[in-house]
Amino acid sequence: MNKDSLKFGGVVLSYILKIIMIIFLIISIWKLHWVWIFGCIIALIVSLIPTILKRNYQITLPLVLDILITIALILHVGGGLLGAYGIPNYDTLTHFVSSFLIAFIAFVIIYILDEYWEGLIMDKYAMAFVVIITTIAIGVVWEFNEWITDLVFGTHEQWGYADTLKDLFIDMIAGIFMAAVGVSMIKRGSFDEITEDLGEQIDKRIIKSKKDEQKNG
Amino acid sequence: MGKIKNICRKRCVSFSFLLRIVMIISLILALWKKDYTWVVGTFIGFFISILPTILKKDTKFTLPWILDFLIAFITILFVGGRLLDYDSTIPGYQLVTRFFMSILVAFISLAVIYVLDEHWDGLKMDKYAIAFVTVILTMSIGVFLEFIKWLNITGMYYVKNNHVLMLNLSADTVAGIIIAIIGVKLIKTGKFDKITDEFGNQIDKMVIDRLEKRNSK
Repeated sequence: MNKDSLKFGGVVLSYILKIIMIIFLIISIWKLHWVWIFGCIIALIVSLIPTILKRNYQITLPLVLDILITIALILHVGGGLLGAYGIPNYDTLTHFVSSFLIAFIAFVIIYILDEYWEGLIMDKYAMAFVVIITTIAIGVVWEFNEWITDLVFGTHEQWGYADTLKDLFIDMIAGIFMAAVGVSMIKRGSFDEITEDLGEQIDKRIIKSKKDEQKNG
Repeated sequence: MGKIKNICRKRCVSFSFLLRIVMIISLILALWKKDYTWVVGTFIGFFISILPTILKKDTKFTLPWILDFLIAFITILFVGGRLLDYDSTIPGYQLVTRFFMSILVAFISLAVIYVLDEHWDGLKMDKYAIAFVTVILTMSIGVFLEFIKWLNITGMYYVKNNHVLMLNLSADTVAGIIIAIIGVKLIKTGKFDKITDEFGNQIDKMVIDRLEKRNSK
């Protein structure tokens, strides 16, 4: 399969996922589930952010990121709307996908900083290590958020000791998985391809390195 | 200023020596109480506390004096908590022990990252990036410690509830942030370089140089 057909497949998948999201919105309106009507609208807006960024600000997010964001939202909204959270380990699956998304974003940011920012030069294995610990640390911050919410509002976001540790363990596994995928993509040069557009745009707007001048000059 | 520094350094070293004497007393107490688990515990603690001295004699390896002091102090806190039962009789003792242990972990993390940044071609980081990685590494190591408790690898008794878990993770995060802030200030003033200079050069000779030579073959 060549790169163009792979990219075309990705775009088609992204549209299919957004259509599924619209179907979820219709189902929630049909069932008059106000919470999920609101949830679907928010999720739809979030999943359209990559398209909005591209159209209005000429910022191209990697297609993989677009697809991952939409899958994470579909799993969450679908789980709540269709009662899928009752399926054994469904919660584990959604947590893994969300953590993988976080790890992917972390890898993209570190890779772009390594490529364009003078303040960071990192070996690919060091990058993989930092991605794993970033994913775990963000998982801890998320648990803090749930813990404080429970303390302040008396909710039950955290189910208990074992569940919190299970969530942190899933974060770690997702981080390790992304680190392994990322290193193999860097070795093949494909990570550079998927982050090139975004890297150049971030460089132009924020980092303002002399890389472009060096390339041209 | 040099004289004052030397006096401080000598006093800290002698305090570290004093702490080791207290540990030997703890070992004798453990034997007297026939608490053999803690005989082993205190022995391991004592061994860890004299490890920098052993390394220095055997391989001409010098750890920063502050690290030497922290290792001895934290081992004392651990041993005191278990042997004298301060963990259950003094409220918050365990959390304080955890906090100081995280301070040690954060300091080691910062020192390792700084030494790698100075001596390894695979890592060049801005001081704020070093601070960030120190915080997330401390948080991640805290999560690993919780996994060890969860899986009951050491066979010791630990309080296992969600509130204690979240307090421990908070202590790790706060310790990481404190050391990161102090670290940035020390790096800015050049003091951190002095603390880790000798240690860094030895690591460079013993590990980094050998690895780089092996990779270049």
